Amino acid sequence: MEQRSTVLKINKIGVNFDGFQALTDVDIKVKRNTIHFFIGPNGAGKTTLLDIICAKTKPTSGKVYYYPDSNHEICLTGMREYKIVGAGIGRKFQVPSVFVNLTVGENMELSLRGNKDIRGAIFHRMTQEEKDSIDAVLDRVGLLDKKDFKAGSLAHGQKQWLEIGMQLLQKPKIIMLDEPAAGMGKPETFKTGEILKDIKKECTIIVVEHDMDFVKQVADTVTVLHEGKVLMEGTVTECLADPTVQAVYLGRGGERNA
Amino acid sequence: MNFIKKHGQNVCFAVIVLVLALMPLLLTAGVIKSTMVIFLGKCICFAIVAIGLDLIWGYTGILSLGHGLFFALGAYGMGMYLKLQATNGNITDFMKTGGLTELPRIWQAFEPLPMALVLLVLIPALLAGIIGFFIFRNRVKGVYFSIISQALTWAAYSIFIAMSPYTNGNVGITEIDPIVGSIRGAKHIGNLYLLFYAALAIMILIYAVAYFLVKSKFGRLLIAIRDGENRTYFSGYCVSDYKNFIYVLSAIIAAIAGALFVNFNGSITPSQMTISYSITMIIWVAVGGRGTLIGAVIGAFVINLCEYNLSSGAFVDIWQYIIGAIFCITILFFKGGIVGIVTEQLPALLHRRKENS
Repeated sequence: MEQRSTVLKINKIGVNFDGFQALTDVDIKVKRNTIHFFIGPNGAGKTTLLDIICAKTKPTSGKVYYYPDSNHEICLTGMREYKIVGAGIGRKFQVPSVFVNLTVGENMELSLRGNKDIRGAIFHRMTQEEKDSIDAVLDRVGLLDKKDFKAGSLAHGQKQWLEIGMQLLQKPKIIMLDEPAAGMGKPETFKTGEILKDIKKECTIIVVEHDMDFVKQVADTVTVLHEGKVLMEGTVTECLADPTVQAVYLGRGGERNA
Repeated sequence: MNFIKKHGQNVCFAVIVLVLALMPLLLTAGVIKSTMVIFLGKCICFAIVAIGLDLIWGYTGILSLGHGLFFALGAYGMGMYLKLQATNGNITDFMKTGGLTELPRIWQAFEPLPMALVLLVLIPALLAGIIGFFIFRNRVKGVYFSIISQALTWAAYSIFIAMSPYTNGNVGITEIDPIVGSIRGAKHIGNLYLLFYAALAIMILIYAVAYFLVKSKFGRLLIAIRDGENRTYFSGYCVSDYKNFIYVLSAIIAAIAGALFVNFNGSITPSQMTISYSITMIIWVAVGGRGTLIGAVIGAFVINLCEYNLSSGAFVDIWQYIIGAIFCITILFFKGGIVGIVTEQLPALLHRRKENS
């Protein structure tokens, strides 16, 4: 039954980096079609958690399970990263990492589903359907008029949107975003939030973010991490009201955003 | 104007091919000497290696300092076949000196032409494939890859020197005639034309294949790997497979160039396998303009023509310094090489001047 509503189950994950316990017994369930935030002070293990989900880092203990639909269970722990991408989990990094020497359109082309093997890359020509889907996604993230511009010439916020668009094009079940609003101004952050709300209809979004206004704007569920452990989980209001959360997080790192 | 922008590099390549194709006519007319044609033949071989190197370095961003190894392997393969032609399949003098009494098995394999042609491509390809498999799978990259590629070349060089009964050590395989028969002297001028045009045709073919690759999605992926390897992994591509593929491909291209080169050069020595020779190849690509196929071709011709004209006479002692200086200046001020100057820096300069006036 739980598969129906849960898309990702993080089960007793622990990570030890040469004696430093980055994560301890983390248990999180992410619900389908929600925007789920991981928040917490610096060093709480948020990015490490994302790294574990997409297999960039191997956990010392525990496993991550992924339910692409109600009937299937995939254990992500131990899979290679490009296969995880193929299974439907996309990841956007903290620093915008688009291919600066390619145009926006070409960036999108590389993100299309399928033809990821060498033969496909050499001989496949884009179909009209694929071209249309690229235009549709670019339109959604507001970059359609920039299609033939080099990605390197985009503004910071636009690069972030392009990267989100690249994730969308793969039609993932889960998109993970590491600080999508970092370095953005208020209007840009707000627009990013609206883009995410729009995407939510089709997939689940996991976000790591510091900007509390942004969290308030879009979050369905918030998991507060502290020193590698789950401190609490709930809605934004519940978390903000909790005295422990206020003490460890909002009392210090949250000040600048409050 | 748009046509030039889009097809400029092909037009430029066509012009180079056309000029080269006219050379034998100039020879017949007595304007140039046959040594010049032979030298240009070698340049064609260098341009072929440069195209391969550009694929792996200019496009994919993997700096290999060991492509001289693959060039030399192809050259030795062809050299062995040609030497056996010269001795009618008998044991060579240097083997006798080395204490061998009959033709070694490895040499026997190179006696039939089809077998030799297959092996001279297959051996470098396999070697590159195995090296690449382990290196790229373990995510060795950047300067570490360059160092490993250099060390392997050095190791191969030492082996070739040490295995003197089989390879003739330092001297290498000498006194061989090209596959088409002797090309020296006025009597054999037809052979020279045949060989020269064959080389030209192979260069066009390699350029066409490389052009097709870089203009497909594959080419954009190579650039993607160069600019953001992690992002490429997380776009769902097995980057290590792609890197290995392009490494093997460029090794094959280098081997083909090497095999052609022996025909023009008439000998092959381990000096073509040294690290400095591999670095020279890198300089061709850098000076011509990496990341553009035409740049690699231009670079190979320009540097070698300069060397041909300058390294004799007054400049002989300082030629190495000149080429070093050219390389440094290119890296510091003209990252795009000659092609970059023409396509980016010059238009930018003209634009600025127009604005000022």
